[in-house]
Amino acid sequence: MRAAGSGWQAEDGGRRDWTGWLFVAFFTLPFLLFNLAPLLFGVVLAFTEWGIIGDPVWVGTANFEQALADPWVANAFWNTFLYACTIVPGVVVLGLAFALFVHQRWPLSTLARTLFFTPNVVSATVIGLVWVWLLDTQFGLVNRYLAFLGIGPIPWLTSGDWSLIGVSIASIWWDLGLAFVLFLAALQDEPQELHEAAAIDGAGRIRRFLHVTLPHLRPTISMVVTLQIIASMRIFSQVYVMTNGAPHGSSQSVIHYIYQTAIVQYRLGYASAVSVLLFLAILVVTLLQRLLLRERAGG
Amino acid sequence: MAEVGPAPARRLGLRDVPIWLCGTLLALLWGAPFLWMVSTSLKPAAQVMTPVIEWFPREITFENYAKVFRYPVLTWALNSVIQAVVATGLCVLFGAMAGYALARLPFPGRRALFALFLAVLMIPSEIAVVPLLLAFIKAGLASTYAALILPQIGNVLAVYIFRQYYLTFPKELEEAALVDGAGRFKIFFTIALPLARAPLIATTVILFTLNWNNFLWPLLVTFDESMKTMPVGMAAFAPVVGTHTQLEGYAVAMAAVTILCIPSITLFLLTQRHFIRGIALGGVKG
Repeated sequence: MRAAGSGWQAEDGGRRDWTGWLFVAFFTLPFLLFNLAPLLFGVVLAFTEWGIIGDPVWVGTANFEQALADPWVANAFWNTFLYACTIVPGVVVLGLAFALFVHQRWPLSTLARTLFFTPNVVSATVIGLVWVWLLDTQFGLVNRYLAFLGIGPIPWLTSGDWSLIGVSIASIWWDLGLAFVLFLAALQDEPQELHEAAAIDGAGRIRRFLHVTLPHLRPTISMVVTLQIIASMRIFSQVYVMTNGAPHGSSQSVIHYIYQTAIVQYRLGYASAVSVLLFLAILVVTLLQRLLLRERAGG
Repeated sequence: MAEVGPAPARRLGLRDVPIWLCGTLLALLWGAPFLWMVSTSLKPAAQVMTPVIEWFPREITFENYAKVFRYPVLTWALNSVIQAVVATGLCVLFGAMAGYALARLPFPGRRALFALFLAVLMIPSEIAVVPLLLAFIKAGLASTYAALILPQIGNVLAVYIFRQYYLTFPKELEEAALVDGAGRFKIFFTIALPLARAPLIATTVILFTLNWNNFLWPLLVTFDESMKTMPVGMAAFAPVVGTHTQLEGYAVAMAAVTILCIPSITLFLLTQRHFIRGIALGGVKG
């Protein structure tokens, strides 16, 4: 507290002014009660067996032991990893390509910007239902156009081999807008002088992209990758709407399994234990990302 | 932050035409699912699954929309509006106050508080959904408006955007009022808040969209049809495998989601500039 408070004294000539706390109290109260407290409560809950009715029973680490041995937990974590492996590259590569295109400010680029971003503002129900229809094995547009190329029909959402990819395609369409906008903002912050100098030196478009634009975009790329990895690790609603984890858990994500154990089986303690495991996984990914970034910056 | 978005159009060189054509086609392709959605929703049931792909309906019918309204869609819509408006309103107001204080008012512990906000911002809310659900059930508040609204008020994003804005807010504007003896609350509500038009619009539209689209929490905490929100209620139109029940065919499902996405898309198109700038600043999904 002393270190945190040292700033106000310097700024305010040593007078303790508590008015600020009145200002932040309105926000801080609901934040503590409904955003922070549940996180801490969840950790306690993970060590208990607690149903909707009745009192909690302390079970120690039994939930965690069970979760680590549960093949459905392993399956859900593996699927979530696969979701990240398909969605993150798709969103980053396409988002960057689209941003580079719109950044050229050619005719109709405002329209293009709107079209690329719009899927981002609609609900998972819209995304899910539209793509269930588009990916319908027999009458979906995707398979019908693929048929012209002699491909398919692919059972996008009904076979264990394809369901995860089907959901990933819809997710890329949904998630791309954020990456696209972040890249576009970064491109517009790019100093033009370097670009012009490189152009005068005779560097072509591709060389200018590799040697001027890409280094400038590097921090944005790593930020987008981090954000998108976390977004993919919390994937739920489109899974719920499109496949409900089927067939046979082949598209089930971790949050979907948490939902299932909590709501369908009413095992709240166990669901909390799986939540804690997911939190640890997200923490590890975030820290790894930080570590890699620091190393790159240092070397 | 610089304006996010194209400035005046640049001339198209002859060499650029192929790339421009590809990119523009790709953009149209990216929007095509929406066209297909609306087109399907206007087709008579018998013309939805045709041997040849028909991008536009041969005849336009609203029977699919009529079928959607056989379900308690208006109740869901009312719940969605109440939930999104109240949660967004409170979060923007409280978030603006907190953001202002964190940027402008020196008070003990403010750095620690902001660090705590940022730390929780990094943790996905899904992690805490099970304990939150249990707490609301035990408090007897499950399946109420309170349950839908309360957890959405403490969204740190609002604080973050307003703090960023007030960090660069010119001090002179407040100093004159301070000299006149106005209190901090008066200064905030008469000067600082009304002038913060850009972050007000950005946070309002972004949070409204987030709340309007919110899925997992309303799904968990509403037990009866009459308390469902639109995204949750309409998910039951999904004609899929698993445990869902299919309410109707694809045409009715497309009519349902067309209704569902009209508010958020309209709001986005009207406030596009602010919306995109806010998203770029906050780094969150809309």
